[in-house]
Amino acid sequence: MIDNEISTQKPTDVSAYTKMEKSPGKLKKFFKHVKRDRYLYLLALPGIIYFFIFKYVPMYGITIAFKDFSPFIGFTDSQWVGLQHFQRLFTGEDFWMLLRNTLAISFLNILFFFPLPIILSILLNELRSQVYKRTVQSLVYLPHFLSWVIIASLTFMLLGKSDGIINYFLNELGFGTFDFLTNPDVFWFLLTGQSVWKEVGWGTIIFLAAIAGVNTELYEAAKMDGANRFRQIWHVTLPAIRNVIIILLILRLGDVMEVGFEQVFLMYNGAVSEVAEVFDTYVYRVGIQQGQFSYSTAVGLFKSFVGLVLVVIANRMSKRFGEEGIY
Amino acid sequence: MKKLLLIMGLLLVLLLAACGGDEEETATNENSGNDSENTSSENNDSEDASSEDEEPTEVRIMSHFFSPTPPSEDNEVEQRIEEATNTELNIDWVSANNYPDRFNVVLASGDLPDLMLVPDPFSPVFRQAADQGAFWDVGPYIDDYPNFKKNIADIAWDLTAMNGKQYAIPRPRPSEGEGFFTVRKDWLDNLGLEEPTTTDELYEVMRAFSHDDPDGNGKDDTVGFIGYINDENMGSFGSFEGVFNGVNGEWGLQDGELVHRAFYPGTRDAIEYLAKAYEEGLIAADFASLQVSQARDIFKGGKAGVSVEKSGALQDVYDSLVQIDSDFEFKNLLPLTNLNGYNPKGPGFSGANAIPKSVPEEKMKKILAMYDRWMEEDVFMLHKHGIEGVHHTVEDGEIVIDTEKILADGIADHNQIVYVSDPYASTVKPTFPEEVQKMYADIQDEREKTSVGNIAVGLHSEIGITYLPELRKDAQDLKTKIILGSEPITAWDDFVEELKNDPDMQQLTKEINESYQSR
Repeated sequence: MIDNEISTQKPTDVSAYTKMEKSPGKLKKFFKHVKRDRYLYLLALPGIIYFFIFKYVPMYGITIAFKDFSPFIGFTDSQWVGLQHFQRLFTGEDFWMLLRNTLAISFLNILFFFPLPIILSILLNELRSQVYKRTVQSLVYLPHFLSWVIIASLTFMLLGKSDGIINYFLNELGFGTFDFLTNPDVFWFLLTGQSVWKEVGWGTIIFLAAIAGVNTELYEAAKMDGANRFRQIWHVTLPAIRNVIIILLILRLGDVMEVGFEQVFLMYNGAVSEVAEVFDTYVYRVGIQQGQFSYSTAVGLFKSFVGLVLVVIANRMSKRFGEEGIY
Repeated sequence: MKKLLLIMGLLLVLLLAACGGDEEETATNENSGNDSENTSSENNDSEDASSEDEEPTEVRIMSHFFSPTPPSEDNEVEQRIEEATNTELNIDWVSANNYPDRFNVVLASGDLPDLMLVPDPFSPVFRQAADQGAFWDVGPYIDDYPNFKKNIADIAWDLTAMNGKQYAIPRPRPSEGEGFFTVRKDWLDNLGLEEPTTTDELYEVMRAFSHDDPDGNGKDDTVGFIGYINDENMGSFGSFEGVFNGVNGEWGLQDGELVHRAFYPGTRDAIEYLAKAYEEGLIAADFASLQVSQARDIFKGGKAGVSVEKSGALQDVYDSLVQIDSDFEFKNLLPLTNLNGYNPKGPGFSGANAIPKSVPEEKMKKILAMYDRWMEEDVFMLHKHGIEGVHHTVEDGEIVIDTEKILADGIADHNQIVYVSDPYASTVKPTFPEEVQKMYADIQDEREKTSVGNIAVGLHSEIGITYLPELRKDAQDLKTKIILGSEPITAWDDFVEELKNDPDMQQLTKEINESYQSR
C-alpha cells in the first residue's frame, strides 16, 4: 500500500517542481502539495538531513581540487590554481594506464561477474527440493561476509608459487608451476575470479526475490502451451526479471570507475603494477602516502564525474529501450 | 499511518540525540581517563621534589610502536616517567606499519598533538608544513636544556636543520648496526661452509641452502634468501644493491658530483645477480608478493637461510626458531661483517620529533623541559631495563632482566619517543644472552671499520617532490620484473639510456648537487 502511494506521489511532485519555475502562480500549488503530503515529507526528512550533513556538506572539500591546498594555510586561504591539477592528470603518462586498468577490470567484471548471479538464481529456482535449495543458497552467501584481507590471504595460500596448494598439484601432475600472483597477463582475471567467488551468491538475492514474484499462472499457461523447462525459463522467467537486470546493470555501469580499492590494493605488487594501478590505488599512493592532497582530489573528482556521466547515459539508454530507469 | 509517523519521529530524535551525545561521551571519557591518571600520579608519592609545586603539564604525544600491542595507558613505567617529568602523558600509539600515512593525514587534518614523531624529516609533506610555520623552530631554545646537545650528536642536528631552522628534534640512533645480511650459522656448519665474505661466496651459500638440504630433514623445503620489496625501493634486497655499488643510499659521489644510483654499473650487476639467483630458485619464488611480515615469518619459520636484519631485532626470530627446534641457539643467527668490503652505516638518527605551532610558547618550553629530563639516566632507564622488582632484579650489583615481562609490557616502545643513544643499541639488546651480546658487539666493532654512510641524507630538490616517487616506482617495477625473469636485463639498459636524456632527471641531478654544495 505504502509503496503504491509513494510511487504515484512522486511524479506529481516532480511536475509540481518543473511547473513551479514556469509561473509563480504555481508556487502556491507546490506548497499546497507540500502541505497535503506533509507527513510523507516528514518521513523523508531524516534521510534528507542525513544526506545533507554527511554527503553534501563535505563536498565543500572538493574545492581543493582547484587550489594549491596546504593544510596550514587552510581551505579558504589556499591559492586557486584553476585546472592545473587536471592538466597534470590528463597530460601525465599514468593517465591512460589508469583508465585502461580501471575500465578493463570493470568490464571484465560486467562480462563475467554480472551474468553469473542471474544464471545461478535461475538454477536455484529450478531446484525441486526446497531443503537443498535453501542450503545451497545459504552456503553461497557466506563468502560475501569475509573481508578482502581474508580472501587475499586465501588466494596467496592457494596460488602462491612456493607453497600454494594449486601449484603443488600442478607440479605433482607434471605441468610445472604457474605464476599466478606476479603475472601481469592473468592479474585481471585473478581479480574477476575473486569477485565471482566472493559475491556471486550474494548477488542472487535480488534476482531470486524477483523470480519469486513471477505469477505462477504464467508458468502454468506456458506448460499448457507445451513449453518445456528451458522454454519456460526463456519465455517467462527471464522477461519477468528483465527490468531488475537492467536496473542493476545501470547501477553497475555507474560504478565502472569503482573497482574496489581493498581488493586491488591487497593483490597489488611491483611485478603487476602496470596492470594493477587503478584510480583508487593511485589516489591513495599520491594523496595519502605522498601528501599531494589537491592533485589526488582532482583525480578522485574526475573519477566521480565519469561515473555520473555513465549513469546518466545508461539511464537514458534504458528509457529509450522502453524500460524503467532508476530515476 | 500515524503510528508509523510516531515511530519515525522517535527514530529521528534518537538519531539526533545519539549524534550529540557521542561527542559529549567521548569528551567525558577523556576527562575521566585523565582524572584517573591524575589521581594515580598524585597517590604515588612523587620522588622529584621540584615538580611537586607545579601542576603537571598535559602532553599529547603521537608516536609509533613495533611490539605486537602498544603499552597500556596505565602501565607503571609511563606513570614513573610522568612523575619524574611532572607531566600527564597522553600517548597515541600508532602501528609502525602505517605511521607515515597517519602522519600525512593528521597533518592535513590540522588537529595536531603536542609532540609528534616525524618519520622522515625530509619528506616534502613535512618540509612544506614546516616552511609554512606549522612547527616550532626549537633552535633558539635547546641551549637552555643541556641534555639535547649532550645526547644528540651535532651531525644529527646539522642534517635535520632546514634553512638554518631546527624544526625537528632528531631521534638519536647508533650509526652502526644498520640492517644487513644475517645467516644461519647452523646451516653453514651442517653443509661445511664458511662465513661468506664476497657476493660470489654468498651466492654459493644461497645455492647450498636452497638445494643441499641444510636443515637435514630430507626434504627440499628451504630457500637461500628471503626478503621483501617495497613499491618504491628494493626493500631488503637493497642490501645487494649497496654491496654491488659500494654506495649507501640513492646518490653516490663520482668525481665530486652526486650521481643517481640508477647510473651505477653495480645496480645493473645486482639486478643480474638476483635474476640469476631467482632463476635457480635461490630466492623465495613469490618474494614480489610478500609483505614485510610474511617474509619475516619465513625466516622465523626456519625455511630460509639468509635474511636482512638489524641484529638488535633478532630476539623475535630466535624466539620463534627455538619453538620449532628446542636445541636452537641464539648464536646461530650470525650477522655478516661485510660483503665485498661493504656494509652500511646509519646517519646517527632515525626520524625526529616536532612540536606544532598550535602549542603555546610556554607549553612548548615545558615539553622541551620534559624531553630534557626524560633523557637523564634515571628516567630513560625506566624503559630500558624496566622497574626494579617488576622487570628486573639486581643481584650482586648486576641487573638481571626479566625478558618476558619486558616484552609483555612493551615498555621498549617508549624508546620511540625519547631515546639516549648507546653505540651498541641497534646491535645488542639487554634481553639477549650474554655471549651473544659480546659476539654481536664484536661484529659491530669489525663492521665499523668498513661501514659506508649515506652522503645524500637531507638533500632537497624541488622537482624531486613529484618526480622522485615516480622514478623510484618505475625503476623498482622494472627491477622486480627483471628479477622475476619477465623482462630481460637489456630492458634496464634501455631504461637507463632513456633516463640519461630525461630533462627531469637532469634537473633533479642539478638540484640535488646544488643542495649538496650548499651544505
